[in-house]
Amino acid sequence: MSKQNFEQFLTLSLNETESELTPEKDLWPGIERAIAKPKNEIKAKNSGWNKLAAIAACTVAALLTVQLLVKTPQNNSVVAMSDFFTKQKQSLLVQYQDSPAVTDNWQQQLRELEQAESAIKQALENEPNNSALLSMLAQVYQQQLDLINKVHAPKWQSI
Amino acid sequence: MLIDAKEAFTSNCEDALITQVKSGDQQAYAQLYSLHVKRVYALCLRLLADKEHAEDATQEVFVQLWHKIASFEGQSQFSTWLHSVTSNIAISYLRKHKNWLQKVVSFEQSGMDEQSAADCQGLNGLDKLVLRLPERARMVFVLHAIEGYRHEEIASMLDMAVGSSKSQYHRARQLLKEWYENE
Repeated sequence: MSKQNFEQFLTLSLNETESELTPEKDLWPGIERAIAKPKNEIKAKNSGWNKLAAIAACTVAALLTVQLLVKTPQNNSVVAMSDFFTKQKQSLLVQYQDSPAVTDNWQQQLRELEQAESAIKQALENEPNNSALLSMLAQVYQQQLDLINKVHAPKWQSI
Repeated sequence: MLIDAKEAFTSNCEDALITQVKSGDQQAYAQLYSLHVKRVYALCLRLLADKEHAEDATQEVFVQLWHKIASFEGQSQFSTWLHSVTSNIAISYLRKHKNWLQKVVSFEQSGMDEQSAADCQGLNGLDKLVLRLPERARMVFVLHAIEGYRHEEIASMLDMAVGSSKSQYHRARQLLKEWYENE
């Protein structure tokens, strides 16, 4: 049987598109928890200084790294960026050391991101000014900060 | 005729549920959730092209809906209203969850990789290709071709020019055609 042309495929597929899809996990418990909390509690929790400080740290990190990436693409960019993000990461880890994490495997996830960081740094040794690699490195650092924030200040607990 | 009767019955049940939810009944809200979660999730998945983000956004829709439902006055169908709420929440979810680098240099997020798209259950061949589209082309295609919004509406929702919406739609079609023909 010959393959139908694209226009036929498109028209047929759009007519047959399922309007309903089932999520893989049960989403109701998270929603139920979130709507059970009174609104004033949401405001009180969201105004926590810890969360503000963490977000501020990430923002400062981001802005400074943009400066490094865009304005000073020198051989020491990788070292400067690494130093800066490592300090941010350590500071977050210290800040959250007494807070329980919502997942058991977050350290494993962090290790995987650190492995990605090492692989990118290795590639940067050969091409220290490669902006695509520098962007990837910055993204991996940002993901590490996001992960630490996310597992210690989960959205559905704070809502 | 039978279908009309069934639709009318469902609609009446839904109206009753909405009234109960407006008075703060969480059990009624659980039922309303069951009626609509699959449609909301389908739209979120198509717009966000990421299963976890789609699940998160779906939860966000129903949490916000709980607080907003009092403003639903029944002038349009509930499903139409919910649909519009979902589209807007999914779009702002995507904006909020862009990392700082994507925001600063505004580079576009690519779509789902081929294997992950193929692994998504319940999707037809076109859906699996749509999930692979780059972000802007995907959103415009989903909103226009699948959800039936006009380019003027999409331009306002996505904060872009009408011409950009049309060109992203054209780009999406070209990519889909190329992928389909090379399959």
